[in-house]
Amino acid sequence: MIYSTRRFLLSVAAGLALMAATVPQKVVAEPSGTLRLGEQAKLITMDPHQHSGGGIGYLRPVYESLFDHDEDNNLVPLLAESYEVDGAKIVITLRPGITFSDGELLTAEVAAANINRVIGLGIQASMKLAEKAEVTGENEITLTLASPDPSIIDALSGTAGMMISPKAMEDPALDRNPVGTGLYVYSPEESREGELRVYLPNPTYRDPELQGVARLELSEIPDATAMVNALKTGQIDLAIFLSSPQAAIVDRTPGIKLLRQPGGTTYHLGIMDREGTRVPAFADKRVRMAMAHSIDRAAFSKAVEFGLSQPAYQAYPEGLWPHDPAVGEKYAYDLDKAKALMKEAGYEDGFEFDIPSIPVFASRLEAVAGFFKEINITMNIVTVEPGTLARRSMSTDFPATNLVWNTFLDPKYLTTYYVAKEALFNPYRIAPDPELMELSEEGLNRVEYAERAPIYNEMFRKVSDEAYIIFITTTPILFGATDVFAANPTLRLRPGTDTPILHGLRVDN
Amino acid sequence: MGRLIAQRLLAMLPLLLIVSFLTFSLTAMLPGDPADLILGDRATEAQYRMVHERLGLDQPFLLRYVQWLQRAVLGDLGTSFFNSVRVMDAVAQRIPATVSLTLASVLISIVVGLSAGVAAALRPRSWIDRLATFGATIGQAIPNFWFGILLAGVFAVNLRWFPATGYTPFGQSPLGWLSSITLPALALGLSTSAAIARQVRSAMVGVLQQDYVRAALAQGLSRRRVIFKHALKNALIPVVTVLSFQVTVLLGGALIVEHVFAINGIGSLAVAAVRQQDIPMIQGIVLVLVMIVMAVQLCTDILYGLINPKARPA
Repeated sequence: MIYSTRRFLLSVAAGLALMAATVPQKVVAEPSGTLRLGEQAKLITMDPHQHSGGGIGYLRPVYESLFDHDEDNNLVPLLAESYEVDGAKIVITLRPGITFSDGELLTAEVAAANINRVIGLGIQASMKLAEKAEVTGENEITLTLASPDPSIIDALSGTAGMMISPKAMEDPALDRNPVGTGLYVYSPEESREGELRVYLPNPTYRDPELQGVARLELSEIPDATAMVNALKTGQIDLAIFLSSPQAAIVDRTPGIKLLRQPGGTTYHLGIMDREGTRVPAFADKRVRMAMAHSIDRAAFSKAVEFGLSQPAYQAYPEGLWPHDPAVGEKYAYDLDKAKALMKEAGYEDGFEFDIPSIPVFASRLEAVAGFFKEINITMNIVTVEPGTLARRSMSTDFPATNLVWNTFLDPKYLTTYYVAKEALFNPYRIAPDPELMELSEEGLNRVEYAERAPIYNEMFRKVSDEAYIIFITTTPILFGATDVFAANPTLRLRPGTDTPILHGLRVDN
Repeated sequence: MGRLIAQRLLAMLPLLLIVSFLTFSLTAMLPGDPADLILGDRATEAQYRMVHERLGLDQPFLLRYVQWLQRAVLGDLGTSFFNSVRVMDAVAQRIPATVSLTLASVLISIVVGLSAGVAAALRPRSWIDRLATFGATIGQAIPNFWFGILLAGVFAVNLRWFPATGYTPFGQSPLGWLSSITLPALALGLSTSAAIARQVRSAMVGVLQQDYVRAALAQGLSRRRVIFKHALKNALIPVVTVLSFQVTVLLGGALIVEHVFAINGIGSLAVAAVRQQDIPMIQGIVLVLVMIVMAVQLCTDILYGLINPKARPA
């Protein structure tokens, strides 16, 4: 009997052992290989709340934002679970149980402290309407705005929404010791200041399956030729943000591939003196329309931007939610029509005006000046100090300007940049059409893209009718990749931003 | 010799003071505002004021300079305007790459320049002389950044013999260091070797016509001994002078070559600091570079004495 019981117990144990061996276990693929990225922008700070300009790629491995955008440009929650907009209040529910790489917990208090820090520093222009963040529940914060602004959610998908560990926030050297909830942790020991940043998998990350690489290296390569050489020789797998000449070289070099990211920047002219204070001709809409018709955008793209840009008749290219398919090729190149409009307006013999330029825009303006010459308009290009173009364009120093529209910007900025009487680039303080302001307000009171898009489409159409913003070309964000990396099925690019999506990105080398 | 070194070191102090004041003044005169880069150019006036206060830019110029000087005397060159990186740390981190590059370039220029100059001087108007002169002219005419791009294209991108970008510290891998430094050092050193070759040639031609050279040959000394022990030694004095000037040229050239090969040296730090108007960083870099140049001048004086005892100070 005893023997039988023993046998039975042994059988049960063997059976259990066999079951344990045969029950499918969740297999987590270990991070492997080294991902090597090249970044043209120099790293200034790794404090996301003090970060402005390019180089967000240095922050993405370490920090995660409350929200994110997927490869189809849909807004998706990341550290947040959900949000609800109620006028000037936004209630954000956080995902529970998120920890920072130093072991600290992401609580509602921590999230509120992060957002209040962003507001206090005042560097993130997209958060200007935010007044304060308060804890309103166990995992809930409420963000109070000065006035309704649904684009704040978009802003929280960038550096403004990146969560810093509470301990790290007290570190005076936070800009070199970043601590976030991200996939990877920064390794200062293996990094070389100004040259190479090394990131290693975050051992406490909540979903190890998303950590695809054992080592991530980000090289600072400010010289464009050096960047292409590094790509050609396989020193890097992906070159972030190529300029057009280098992109053209990459495009025709075997072994490497040019990747065009939807979105990017839309180059445009802004006619600010549209009541003709300094240049009377600008008060006539027909003159502005003639200028828009005189530009051969396809030739411009080919000559100035190596054919890598696409003709633009609106701020947003196809694929982005504010794009308006109804615009078509409004103001398409038509020299006869342009000349006829000039004649009709009484400016057949042309006129002259000054426009500010910085070196990077010089060739573009020279090309545009050539087109305007065809309708007897002389555009004098006045070089201003690099870094001052925007500020000079906000003054009445010039009747017109040229700028780029970042397609990642919310369309609400059309009002604050150009339309409103106090708009940044409305230095002549021209009162807007009240209907435009109504539309602007309506756009801010809707939350979903699908609801907001038709409102902004109508707004852009009205501005386009007045022809004081002349869109010329949209240049996508250009990446260079080795053929092997370009074929990597886990490589996903976010529209409008200059980094690949790191979650789930794997390499085998 | 000890006195000479002491005198020179003492003379460095007023010079450093003048240079620091000039750099501070010139940087202050630069158009633009570092706050633009920190805040972006669409910030409010209040934000600008806050940043100016934090950086001390709201203080009068002289007060700022005196405050900086007080700290500098105590060995604190300050912190970057843009991050928490201390200037001394940043410079200390970058200087090995630039010094490596400069020394390797000096070595290349001495070896190539001396060989070409001596070979040309020994057979004046021969094809070797013409070839060396032609090479020297080309070497001086080609800008080193362009030569760098060319070398990177051929030897890094096409042949894959060397890396196209980056710098490996010697301590990390001596072979990697050699591999990473070869192309930039060639790009930088060959133009300097051209200047040295021309100088060696003309000095050697003159020395070889001196009576003591003819006397030495007449006494039966071997030609090799006369050339390398007597003639070359005397011809080297002007070469040392040229070389001391060329070291400063090489330091300047390194700034550009570092950019072409994405080497993270003092050059790339200087370019970024000037672009951002990072005043403490610019001050620190200039001071360190001035000290290097002065040290080179001091070494030159010492070398004069070693090569020619008559040139030793009394």
